[in-house]
Amino acid sequence: MDVSDILANHDAKQKSIIVEKEIPLDIDAGYLVVTDLTPADAESYEADLEEYLTTTARDGVQALIGSLFSLPTTSSADGPLAQLPPPTTQLPRAKPLPKPKPPTKWERFAQAKGIQHKRKDKKIWDEEKQDWVDSWGWKGANKKEERQWLTEVPANADVDHDPAKIARDARKTRVAKNERQQAQNIARAQGTPKDTPAPVVHRKQEIDRTLATTRTSTASMGRFDRKLDGEKKLKGVKRKFDPTEVSASAEKSQNLDILNKLGREPSSKRARSGSNDVLNVRKAVRFASKGKGSMALARESEGGRGKQRGKQ
Amino acid sequence: MLRTVKPKNARSKRALQARESKEIEDPRTAIFVKGTHAGEKVNGVMKDLMALKRPNAISFSKKNVVRPFEDASSLEFWAQKNDASLFVVGQSTKKRPDGMIFVRTFDNKVLDMCEVGVEKWIPMNDFKTAKSTPGHKPLMHFASELFDSHPRFQQLKSVLLDFFNGEVIDGIHLAGLEHVISVTLSPTPETLNNATTTLSSGVSLESTTILPKVHIRTYTIRLLSSGTRIPRVELVPMGPALDLALRRHADPDPEMLKQALKRPKLKKQDVEKGLGKKRKNMEVDEMGDLRGRIHLEKQDLGRLQTRKMKGLKKGREEDMDGESGDESNEEMAGKRKKMRAE
Repeated sequence: MDVSDILANHDAKQKSIIVEKEIPLDIDAGYLVVTDLTPADAESYEADLEEYLTTTARDGVQALIGSLFSLPTTSSADGPLAQLPPPTTQLPRAKPLPKPKPPTKWERFAQAKGIQHKRKDKKIWDEEKQDWVDSWGWKGANKKEERQWLTEVPANADVDHDPAKIARDARKTRVAKNERQQAQNIARAQGTPKDTPAPVVHRKQEIDRTLATTRTSTASMGRFDRKLDGEKKLKGVKRKFDPTEVSASAEKSQNLDILNKLGREPSSKRARSGSNDVLNVRKAVRFASKGKGSMALARESEGGRGKQRGKQ
Repeated sequence: MLRTVKPKNARSKRALQARESKEIEDPRTAIFVKGTHAGEKVNGVMKDLMALKRPNAISFSKKNVVRPFEDASSLEFWAQKNDASLFVVGQSTKKRPDGMIFVRTFDNKVLDMCEVGVEKWIPMNDFKTAKSTPGHKPLMHFASELFDSHPRFQQLKSVLLDFFNGEVIDGIHLAGLEHVISVTLSPTPETLNNATTTLSSGVSLESTTILPKVHIRTYTIRLLSSGTRIPRVELVPMGPALDLALRRHADPDPEMLKQALKRPKLKKQDVEKGLGKKRKNMEVDEMGDLRGRIHLEKQDLGRLQTRKMKGLKKGREEDMDGESGDESNEEMAGKRKKMRAE
């Protein structure tokens, strides 16, 4: 058995792919770079520039390809992918490192409980239609109750019971709640904004306010109390007095305004009694409730209807 | 300077989120700007470089009055507007003919600049050979000892690497390695050699010594079967051939450079994989659990707490061995103990 041919053959093959250099080539597979640190050979450089450049490049690339083809590979849809190691040369970043965001309230809870994040699929299977339907969005499954043409309603339902509106309102409140919680998360992540004063200052303001209220909560509204050392002078409303000598026309108009005000119906009562052309509501309620009032009337009617509902 | 945009719909919100900083960054987008007078050579070179840099390249069509070494404010504005972090400013003046300035930014502020002058240029169209597919990652080859020792060439290597290959990727399809960009320096002149040996840096170096020329060549890779798993490489010249001379440069601010070179902390998976070997006494066993080692001091057996047996006290007539026989003394003295880490 003569293996020397086989060995010679093997050596010949290896020679074609092995690159011999005095200084070993610096290969950074992470960035696909090879650096050849041997100083340029002046003679071959002068002789034929392009030839020299091509040969040095070929040697370098051969070594790089050799290392790349020896990397472990993973199979993927497009074929074998060589797994690249992390690069050794350090290049500066384009943007600063992102600051780690603090976990939100739900994230903390989920971490503590060990809840895994389940991704919702865009399409869900609709048994009725026997087809895939979007779970949200245009013609989404989350709007099914609102869009269905027929809804079963209990017999004792209100006249204006609108199931579509109820479903839509529920969805809108859920969305609003979610957005509110997102805003709270963002606010919590940022911390207190710059406008609100520090907690110490805030507390001091609170104490000052309480103190001012207590000082005026006496029989004489704090006017004749002895002031303690260190207490600040309270700010009060300055009373403004008209001068004793006013022009006759100004005095006349002022007095007439007072008289008009006296004869007028008070504004609060006026606002309440909007429609009193046909029916005096107040009198009607008094008659119907036998003097007890509107609340008693409402309670009575509600109780009757509620009882009926409860039976069913 | 720019007003902060508040997203009004989900699409603009996604676009804004895509511009935020990430741990592993996207490749740098380069903007090619022409100065007041560019010239045919510089125009052609910028066109070829853009072809190699596609799709992460933007070319400004109008000429702009921009002097990067004096005033970089317009560059910073463009960087923020276009979400780009690399600039190639092409300008040709009488004093500096056919000049190109490579500018890198960090956090929308200029990090460093490097000006080169184009001495010879052979366009890509003149090479009647097959070209590589645009968008594929090039291999890079740097050949000279100065790329390791001379600060200006280190900067040039860093800039060129960032320009073509700055993205960190996990894996690559080996059939997609189509072309290589080779940067070679002319032989080092004697003056430079002596200067570098007698301690470097300083204004004197730039003014007195002549820096070697930079040759950039682009080749397509042909892989021939060699009988073994590793193919034999043959190069076919493809793309533009440039001969550059280094001119002015601007070094990065050390504080900014430190910020830019910060790396994200290694995560647990990386530690388990074996990276971050600075953390000693931790290893992943066959079951895939992370185990740690605790080293204890040698225990002084003379001071062990044992069960007190009156009968064994000195002075008694019975002669019995002092046994421990206590459950609390199961600790093995002076040995390392393997404990389960969480």
